[in-house]
Amino acid sequence: MNQPLAYVNPQAKVATNVVIEPFVTIDKNVIIEEGTWIGSNVTILEGTRIGKNCRIFPGAVISAVPQDLKFSGEDTIVKIGNNVTIREFVTINRGTKASYETVVGDDTLLMAYVHVAHDCIIGNNVIIANAVTLGGHIVIDDWSIVGGMVGVHQFVHIGSHCMIAGGCIVRKDVPPYTKSARQPLSYVGINSIGLRRRGFSMDVINQIQEIYRIIYLKGYNVSQALEIIEAEVEARPERDEILSFISNSSIGIMKGYSKLTAK
Amino acid sequence: MNQPLAYVNPQAKVATNVVIEPFVTIDKNVVIEEGTWIGSNVTILEGTRIGKNCKIFPGAVISAIPQDLKFAGEDTIVKIGNNVTIREFVTINRGTKASYETVVGDNTLLMAYAHVAHDCIIGNNVILANASMLAGHIIIDDWAIIGGMVPIHQFCHIGTHSIIQGGSGVGKDVPPYTKAGRDPLSYVGVNSIGLRRRGFTREVINQIQQIYRILYLKGYNVTQAVKIIEAEMEATPERDEILSFIANSSRGIMKGYSYLNSKKSKMEGI
Repeated sequence: MNQPLAYVNPQAKVATNVVIEPFVTIDKNVIIEEGTWIGSNVTILEGTRIGKNCRIFPGAVISAVPQDLKFSGEDTIVKIGNNVTIREFVTINRGTKASYETVVGDDTLLMAYVHVAHDCIIGNNVIIANAVTLGGHIVIDDWSIVGGMVGVHQFVHIGSHCMIAGGCIVRKDVPPYTKSARQPLSYVGINSIGLRRRGFSMDVINQIQEIYRIIYLKGYNVSQALEIIEAEVEARPERDEILSFISNSSIGIMKGYSKLTAK
Repeated sequence: MNQPLAYVNPQAKVATNVVIEPFVTIDKNVVIEEGTWIGSNVTILEGTRIGKNCKIFPGAVISAIPQDLKFAGEDTIVKIGNNVTIREFVTINRGTKASYETVVGDNTLLMAYAHVAHDCIIGNNVILANASMLAGHIIIDDWAIIGGMVPIHQFCHIGTHSIIQGGSGVGKDVPPYTKAGRDPLSYVGVNSIGLRRRGFTREVINQIQQIYRILYLKGYNVTQAVKIIEAEMEATPERDEILSFIANSSRGIMKGYSYLNSKKSKMEGI
């Protein structure tokens, strides 16, 4: 914590064993918990809450004001969980009056150059690859992986255990357990490898597969598919998660690839 | 070298005429050779080896640990050659136990925001344009030029003297001397301008052209094309470079553009 070459505002609450490298700036109204490492040239501004054992790499800027022009100086925060890794030049903006906070969950990895805009809610165990740019108000559920250089439109919801291919543009909600790719972003299968690694049973994976076959490959529209799934597929937490994701989707879910090639 | 506003770990070996601007952080286990300039706010972490007469622009971060979740604290390095230019906010990660080092060759230019991940081996005279993102274990051979905002998939191999169009995603190996563009990345010709600039003769360029015509435009598959090239083309260093590149390609080489227009591809809906 003793670092003569850093600026730490006396009102910041920094745990004693936090390591601060040279040329770090820590503003007032900041809380940093035990075991966290702050690399050189990191700027941590008003409203930051950082959990335990995080690593913040050189050049990152946390809790700068939102890039939203409607922002008018509200008192908002950035909440970062435990064991989070934030790589070089990541920018995380604080919230606006829409939800008053930007959240990054536990064990999440934000790779170099990632931008997390105001009011984003990122879950636990999420991996966001290099140079991904998130618009405002985005929700990313637990265990999702977003490929490098992806752009995500504001208000998009990305379900849990998703995998989005590098270089894509995301403009629609991405339902849980899916793989998505191509332009425009389309369903290209379920994330069976990810699910297997995380201990989902073959039965559950097959059921998820079956559900998405009904949604994307049989030619139904979304409301028809939902009715059929509710009637025909056995109720399980995964089924209900998919159904509630789709019914709560405000901007609609991504298309199926088969629809693009069909007559 | 005297810079009261920088932090240089006493164990770092920095040559006396190295210029260090304010707010630079240099960690232990770092070697920086003569004539190198380190711009302000640069962070140089454990395991960095920088050659002579390099220029490192403000904000760059060199030898941070890999982003690979399998990394377990191995003692690895970043080796940067001589006359290398590293522009603003470039990030170069050090190696993992796969190859223990990340290498950037002599006279290479890494433009602003480029990212070089763990275990990448970049050759000499390479140019990486702005915001190119290299994943882990990538090999880029000498004289290749990568356009701006190009993401490259892990384990890809980019051949010598190739040039890749800005914004393309690279998921396959790019054979030497080629131009690559479009989505998905395809062969769009031989890099004849680059080859001429670097003194290749007309005969050599024509032979390379001929080889890629067999490989990409005559409708053969790769195995057939390689056999024909071996049988019909005179053995030159360039021919052998192309053949050994293809034989050693683990991810497979990029497609030809003509394939995309063919009847077969239309039937497959690609």
